Amino acid sequence: MNIFSLALKLLWRDWRAGELTLLLASLVIAVGSVTTVSLFVDRLQQALLTESSTFLAADRVISSDEPIDAGIVDYATSLGLRTSETLGFLSMVFSEERAQFTSVKAVDQHYPLRGKLIAGDEPFVRGTPVDKGPAPGEIWIESRLFPSLDVALGDLLDVGVSSIPVTRVLIKEPDRGGGFSNAGPRVLMNMADVPATEVVQPGSRLTYRYLFAGERERLAQFETWVKPRLGLEARIFGVKEGAEGIGNALDRGERFLLLGSLLGVVLAGVAIALAAQRYSLRHYDHVAIMKTLGATPRSVDLIFITIFVTLGSTATLFGAAVGYGMQMGVARILAPYIPIELPEPSMRPVLLGLVTGFICLLSFALPPLLKLRSIDPVRVIRRDLGDASVADRMTYSFAVLGTLGLMWWYSQDLKLTLIIFSGSVISLALLFGVAFLLLRSGRVLGMQAGSAWRLALAGMQRRGQENTLQILVFGLAIMLLLILYLVRTALITEWQSQIPPDAPNHFAINITPEDVQPIRTLLAENGVDSQPFYPMIRGRVSSVNGESASDRDKRLQHRGQEAPGSSSGRNLTWSGLLPDDNIVIAGEWWDENYSGPPLVSLEKDLASRNQLKVDDELLFTIQGREVQTRIASIRTVAWDNMQPNFYIIFAPGTLEDFPSTFMTSFHLEKEQKLFLNDLLKAHPTMTVIEIDALIEQVQRIISQVSLAIELVLVLIVGSGGLVLLASIQASMDERMKQHAILRTLGASTKLILGSLAIEFCALGFFAGILATVGSEVTVFMLETEIFELDYEVNPELWVLGPVVGIVLIGAVGTFATRRVVDTPPASVLRELA
Amino acid sequence: MTILKGIDLEIKKSESVAIVGASGSGKTTLLSLLAGLDTPSRGTITLGDYEITSFNEEQRAKVRSELVGFVFQSFQLLASLSAIENVMLPSELKGDTDAQAKAHELLDRVGLSHRMNHYPRQLSGGEQQRVAIARAFASSVEILFADEPTGNLDTTTGQHIIDLIFELNAEFGTTLVLVTHDSRLADRCERSIHIASGELIEPPSLPEVVSGLGG
Repeated sequence: MNIFSLALKLLWRDWRAGELTLLLASLVIAVGSVTTVSLFVDRLQQALLTESSTFLAADRVISSDEPIDAGIVDYATSLGLRTSETLGFLSMVFSEERAQFTSVKAVDQHYPLRGKLIAGDEPFVRGTPVDKGPAPGEIWIESRLFPSLDVALGDLLDVGVSSIPVTRVLIKEPDRGGGFSNAGPRVLMNMADVPATEVVQPGSRLTYRYLFAGERERLAQFETWVKPRLGLEARIFGVKEGAEGIGNALDRGERFLLLGSLLGVVLAGVAIALAAQRYSLRHYDHVAIMKTLGATPRSVDLIFITIFVTLGSTATLFGAAVGYGMQMGVARILAPYIPIELPEPSMRPVLLGLVTGFICLLSFALPPLLKLRSIDPVRVIRRDLGDASVADRMTYSFAVLGTLGLMWWYSQDLKLTLIIFSGSVISLALLFGVAFLLLRSGRVLGMQAGSAWRLALAGMQRRGQENTLQILVFGLAIMLLLILYLVRTALITEWQSQIPPDAPNHFAINITPEDVQPIRTLLAENGVDSQPFYPMIRGRVSSVNGESASDRDKRLQHRGQEAPGSSSGRNLTWSGLLPDDNIVIAGEWWDENYSGPPLVSLEKDLASRNQLKVDDELLFTIQGREVQTRIASIRTVAWDNMQPNFYIIFAPGTLEDFPSTFMTSFHLEKEQKLFLNDLLKAHPTMTVIEIDALIEQVQRIISQVSLAIELVLVLIVGSGGLVLLASIQASMDERMKQHAILRTLGASTKLILGSLAIEFCALGFFAGILATVGSEVTVFMLETEIFELDYEVNPELWVLGPVVGIVLIGAVGTFATRRVVDTPPASVLRELA
Repeated sequence: MTILKGIDLEIKKSESVAIVGASGSGKTTLLSLLAGLDTPSRGTITLGDYEITSFNEEQRAKVRSELVGFVFQSFQLLASLSAIENVMLPSELKGDTDAQAKAHELLDRVGLSHRMNHYPRQLSGGEQQRVAIARAFASSVEILFADEPTGNLDTTTGQHIIDLIFELNAEFGTTLVLVTHDSRLADRCERSIHIASGELIEPPSLPEVVSGLGG
């Protein structure tokens, strides 16, 4: 008989005798929970992205000033992606009586790929979702164009040389966005009608947008393929790059979900390590006996590696299946609470779960098993050899490497990995020392069985090293839970404060200087709070420190980089005061009443993308005139605060001479919406951009991300509890034995249960303190480095940590060991003999 | 710390030898050295044709597998294996194909054919030791080492076990080395070696078997 079938036989016999239950359970739980979490996270992530994609009307967009190579769209189609094409341009539109400068968008029959168009049959109503844009020979216009063009449904509008009837009111288009590039009121027409208008001429300013939607893998494949093939005039982006406010929330949300899975992996690893440790401890004698019967170290290795591989594959496959089923169940139970539809899970997380299982096994379970080869056979007759610790340098380095590798693989983010990892390691090392000292102080003699207190404390000291280890494991589990809880709280608080309920939800632009005062008065009369009115003047940088700005852009532009060049046209403003939520990070903001040589302040990203710094000389071309300026400061801008924000702000005293329009923003409650009619009727030349629907959408997505985060927290708390249980189980034999002996000697149930409770509560207390310190340190690093939040000390944690430790470990521990008083001592002793 | 010193001992094939002495005298250590379970800091031990003190653990395990069987005071059966599976284990480790048939025969021989599928915890001490004896003879060993085989048993059961060991020993022609402080057991052996404080004490009755001291 060969050694493999012997190994399998031994495995089967172990299984039958119940030796494998705990190890197998830990493995299945570990793999299962990792699979559950990552499957669920994957589905949520996909759902959130799809939901957010409605901001672009697509998953990816190529935006270009010129038509792109037809081969690109063909390639996308060949990958199975859905495609659509839109064309945007600015044009005068004429009704019988009036004319209005509008922003025209022509769409094909596939538009939109994500999200819905909303159209209505009268202006300023809520409207209903429709699948397609206007058919050929029809145009839809925005509500406010009805008063300003003085038209009704059915009237003809002239676009270029064509006359087309207005058939519906365009209430909302998914990809309208909050930017100012589409500033004019919208006219939506069919792509097929564009040639007849003859507005597309050589030299027209056109924006071609190519929309793509489909499976994530295909999209990624497409993006990689297409990036190097795009010219400088074109760029490709997804929702994260396309919608700033959403991108940020999604990014942080994803990082959190990732963090959740990472912690899940670590917890799983700990559970496996503990179970494997217990398994190999219980097999010390087996191996020693087998060695006296002639088993060589090599055959011991072979036997246990075979057992390990078989067990591992079975458990991992089973765990992955359990995980798959679990997340289906979780998704089904939670379906009524998740406002978005979850897409089918992809197979990637299952694979992730399988690989995770194997790596966890390799790094946490294999080392203690390999130690079995060096068990001394003489321990069969000389029991005084004791249970040599299985953990040694190899065990630790395997575990460290495995954890690091897995964390890195999961997060693809070395920084996040290193922060979590080093946070854990540093706090563990530090507190190992403290815990050890605490337990070691003042050695006591004997069992001290007089009272439950003394018995418990003496017991803890006697098993000082094991208990230190156990405190660390408990502490680690609690710490990971606290970290997740803290980051979640900080994130959600931050999000909630991001868009306050009274944030401006309407932008008004194209306000003439003479309209400023009347509009201000009209707003005030109707009880509408507005932000300051900012002048807005188009202009562009023509040279930087004497070098032509467009030459410089070409020199600095890397292929595929999605940065606006310094030379492109921008909206300029001037202000004496630093706008709210702007922070100067270099140079200085000017005096409110500054007068002197022209100064400008640049937004941080614009400055860094174009390698501009304080004191660089910028020559602007504004309305045909040149203005020489110097950069006085660089500032950060809160793009998502829904207020007028500018890349470039001039100091007072330069732009006042240029003819300009003004812009502002204000908050309008839903029931005040009709006020817009009055406003637009009184001032038809102004343009109002309604972003209330957009804000609603942002808030909805944020609440979905928050919910996702809560769900993951719950899942991780679940697996944390299992680790605690595994850890208590692992130390059970020793405790059971000791207390069974005490029972034989006549100790009362009260004494034993009391001492167990005290011992576990004390362990929980120490673990809680350890966890608190560890999580404060890690959370500080995480919040400042990864989530870009402001860190605050969490005083409630210093109570929460130890209390959670005492309650959780005290309860679980006592519950798990209560069997010792219910079982006759003889059977406990026989079982452990 | 020196546990054993100046031991010079030769045991002949098929001989039965009892190592006797007080607790802590070093007799168990001597047994584990002789059986190749442990290695001495100095000196040499030859088992059959092999000088095991120059072997590594891998090689010693091979020698044990080939030559040596054990019976322990605490039986040392694997708790997760049934009686027959415990007896099969040495043959299985050797790669024998007839492990089961042989184990069956041996359990029958020690009178346990009706309890073959019981687990150690379901067996009495005497029955467990009989399983251990069957296991010791399972791989056709040449030397049987027994460490206080009756130490955990009552007098009557102990007597049965002693009878069984000697019967099988005679039947299989094995060399028997046992550690005991049970004088009845020692008396059944062809000779007894007395050990005190780690040194051999010459038994006055049998001066010729100890060939000298030094080491």
